[in-house]
Amino acid sequence: MTSRPEELLPEGGMGVEVVPVSGELNVGPQHPGAGHMRILVKLNGDIIEDVDLDVGYVHRSVEKLCENRNYIHLIPLVERPAILDSIHMNLGYILAVEKILGVQAPERAQYLRSFSAEVNRIASHLYGLGILTVFLGHSTGFMWGFGDREVWVEILQALTGARVTNSYIIPGGVRRDLGGAIIEMTNKALDYTERKLKDWKSMVLNNPVIRARLENVGVMSRENAVRWGAVGPNLRGSGVYYDVRKMEPYAAYDKLDFEIPVYKEGDGFARTLVRFEEIEQSMKMIRQILKEIPEGPILTDRFLNQIPPTRRKKWLEEQRRVVFPGYYASFRPPKGEATSMVEAGRGELLYYVISDGSAHPYRVRMITPSYRLIYVFKELVKGSRYADLVSIYGSLDYFPPEADR
Amino acid sequence: MDVLALLEFYILYPSFFVMIIFPGLIFALIVLLYTIWFERKIAAKVQMRFGPLYASKRSGGFLQLVADAMKFVFSEIIVPEQVNSTLFALGPVLYLLVSLLPLAAIPLSTIPPTGSVLSMYFHEFYDPNVGTGIMAAVVSNYSLLIVLALEAVTPVFVLFTAWVTNNRFALLGAVREGLLSVSYDVLLIMASLSLAIEFHTLDVAKIVEAPIPGFVANPFAAFLFLVGMLIGTGRFPFDIVEAESELVAGPYTEYSGLLFVLSMGGSYIGTFAYSILFADLFLGGWQPFTGYYGMIFTVFKAILVLMFAVFMRSVYGRYRIDQALRGSWKYLFPLALLSIVIGGVVGIWIR
Amino acid sequence: MDKVNKIKEYEKKNPFRLFADHVSAVATGLKYTFKPTRITLQYPEEALLLPNGYRGMLRLYKDICIGCTLCALVCPADAMKMATEQGKKYPMINYGRCVFCGFCVDICPVDALRETGMHDAAFQNRRELVFDPDKFNADFQQEMPTGKTVRRVKAIIDENKGIKYEPADN
Ligand code: SF4
Ligand code: SF4
Repeated sequence: MTSRPEELLPEGGMGVEVVPVSGELNVGPQHPGAGHMRILVKLNGDIIEDVDLDVGYVHRSVEKLCENRNYIHLIPLVERPAILDSIHMNLGYILAVEKILGVQAPERAQYLRSFSAEVNRIASHLYGLGILTVFLGHSTGFMWGFGDREVWVEILQALTGARVTNSYIIPGGVRRDLGGAIIEMTNKALDYTERKLKDWKSMVLNNPVIRARLENVGVMSRENAVRWGAVGPNLRGSGVYYDVRKMEPYAAYDKLDFEIPVYKEGDGFARTLVRFEEIEQSMKMIRQILKEIPEGPILTDRFLNQIPPTRRKKWLEEQRRVVFPGYYASFRPPKGEATSMVEAGRGELLYYVISDGSAHPYRVRMITPSYRLIYVFKELVKGSRYADLVSIYGSLDYFPPEADR
Repeated sequence: MDVLALLEFYILYPSFFVMIIFPGLIFALIVLLYTIWFERKIAAKVQMRFGPLYASKRSGGFLQLVADAMKFVFSEIIVPEQVNSTLFALGPVLYLLVSLLPLAAIPLSTIPPTGSVLSMYFHEFYDPNVGTGIMAAVVSNYSLLIVLALEAVTPVFVLFTAWVTNNRFALLGAVREGLLSVSYDVLLIMASLSLAIEFHTLDVAKIVEAPIPGFVANPFAAFLFLVGMLIGTGRFPFDIVEAESELVAGPYTEYSGLLFVLSMGGSYIGTFAYSILFADLFLGGWQPFTGYYGMIFTVFKAILVLMFAVFMRSVYGRYRIDQALRGSWKYLFPLALLSIVIGGVVGIWIR
Repeated sequence: MDKVNKIKEYEKKNPFRLFADHVSAVATGLKYTFKPTRITLQYPEEALLLPNGYRGMLRLYKDICIGCTLCALVCPADAMKMATEQGKKYPMINYGRCVFCGFCVDICPVDALRETGMHDAAFQNRRELVFDPDKFNADFQQEMPTGKTVRRVKAIIDENKGIKYEPADN
């Protein structure tokens, strides 16, 4: 006797496989729920035994490219891995470069950095919530995430001149100043989002279907979260109080008054709640920044003085923006190395920049939050149901380009 | 009899008319287009956008669906290697036909003895149980049983469609459908049964003609039937079989072009058939009309139910298979038992 | 460092709330069905007027340019290159590479480069994407291929609707 189906059913091409009790499923890269990667899922019935994450489909060798370009050229480049979180990517890099250069941004610029970063955090979290909900089949959450994000993107556009590739933060300060029109826009956006978040709660967060899909799914204990190196909202969803904004404040965070939402459960719902409450905290911070932002220059004097005074005045008065001194085109910082940490939308983002005194950095290393999530993701899905693959994926807010760089 | 009258006789002959014209194949396809349009439009409204718009702006983009259908008809049908192409093509076709079949036994209206174009069929379609003619393809005293039996067949064809495509996602979807069908059929049958006990009949027409509509007589049964219908036809929040982000398109993953339309159409038409049954059982069917108007009224009610069913898309995500199963066995099944008890108790009083 | 922040726990699911939650979700859906807040821009008929300072396509003021090459030096994407015309250097731009960072505008010491609010453009082939100094010396204008008049609108943030579009008066 043979048990091979194609021998049992010789003619007619009825080579139908026997239903796999256990087998492999090749999810992605062309799959609605895989993102830019391939997930080899080993299934036993409906339970995932193991997954093999095949990452790297959107690898663009950002780190290597960094070694062949001037410092200023890297600003748009380092934004690219997480285009929806570009302010943070930009900010972290600039903080490291500023350490090497030995400059410090003036007070107002620090506030503006926090302002843009928080606006960007809201936009990034709404994006993440949108992706999560569409993974759970909730198309309204998806559209709302992207639609409500638009409001904040609009503010970034008004402030920086571009929707997502902001390139806003430069060594020594920021490029443009906040004007009355933008403040008014922001106030309206805050009102709108505050109102809309109520609907978000009843439609998405408290929706029994969404809760059923997230509660007790992908539970990461506190110990595991620390051991696997989770960062950001995912870490805080597991009950670890850690946020770079509080631990090693940068920009204006030491002067801002905010809370870090931490949840104990460590499941998908806790992670989602952390994100959701971070949006609320960010809005609180934005209100505070608008109230407390000090007057003053937005670029450090060292660079400001290199700009011809008439030109400087003209741009500042007409458009509330600073122009670049010629120095920027190809500056050579002193020999040295620096690390910087920022709390990006998805978690702690670390830059390590080495300067050998030439116009190019010798090495730029970026450890992005999604990069750390690869392992977390792999460990979390083991033992869960197949349908939870996407639920865990979404609740981690894993963003493949950011991980692949 | 001249030719025209003969033609009229055959076209209006209930068995033909109900199955093929209204609300059968032809009307069902129109309803299919309308439902998908409505689903997209209403989801768009909730989701801060317009939905289909540019194909005939005046009708709010209704022609978009016609255009889509045309595009699908002319797009290439890709038959995977290693599958039996006959069975492959047969799968969706059978599925569509089978989901249309329950319509045969669902009564749509009564036929008055005189005064209506339909009156000529009065004797042929006489239902002694109700005491009047019944507009249905098949008149039977056991129409409820026939409908439920025919509807219980559809999952087999979903399995068949998935099986012949030899795709792992399709197989997973088929397994899910198999698991789910056990639970929703139980709900549907028990909900219908409680109504049958309550009204002491297995004839849908008699239930409709009862003095009180079903959802007043037994609201639990109405709720259970609605949920069972949502599960059975894969509407949200039980879009578990097709689950796009998990299984691509479930059993229909390998289908393209016209075959894809047919397989998608199957589930919508299934929902439509269930909706008509729901309208009959719980919403009073054609009451208070008879004849032609009654028929239109029944279908109108059914379309309202259908619209509600597709509206769920804009509110819910999808449950996980085990949650849907647990929900239906742990919470809904006891409720179904309760509704049978209610049926029995109220039934004594109704008689 | 304040460790005062408490570690929260969310309210667990409770079967009695469940029904209420279902109802409120459906009610929210219905609310938006009857009072939709659409933010779609109906593109071919309406187009956005981008705000002042938007980093759209660039233009060169050739008579002002002093040929200092700073713009080409600062360009992160190597989109800006210097071309020599009658012994003078002028920048030329390749929009196929440009990332619209606006660095060149900011660094030009005589403000010979300016941003325009233009961002919608279509080209037949890649060669057309390269603007030599003469072509670069004019405001970029491209007719909408529809031939219809396009309503220019401004996006305005609204506290009730999110984003709404108002006709831009220009
Ligand atoms: S906008 Fe940026 S990329 Fe484009 S030409 Fe100017 S410097 Fe280069
Ligand atoms: S930076 Fe300005 S002046 Fe210098 S070459 Fe470029 S456009 Fe001309």
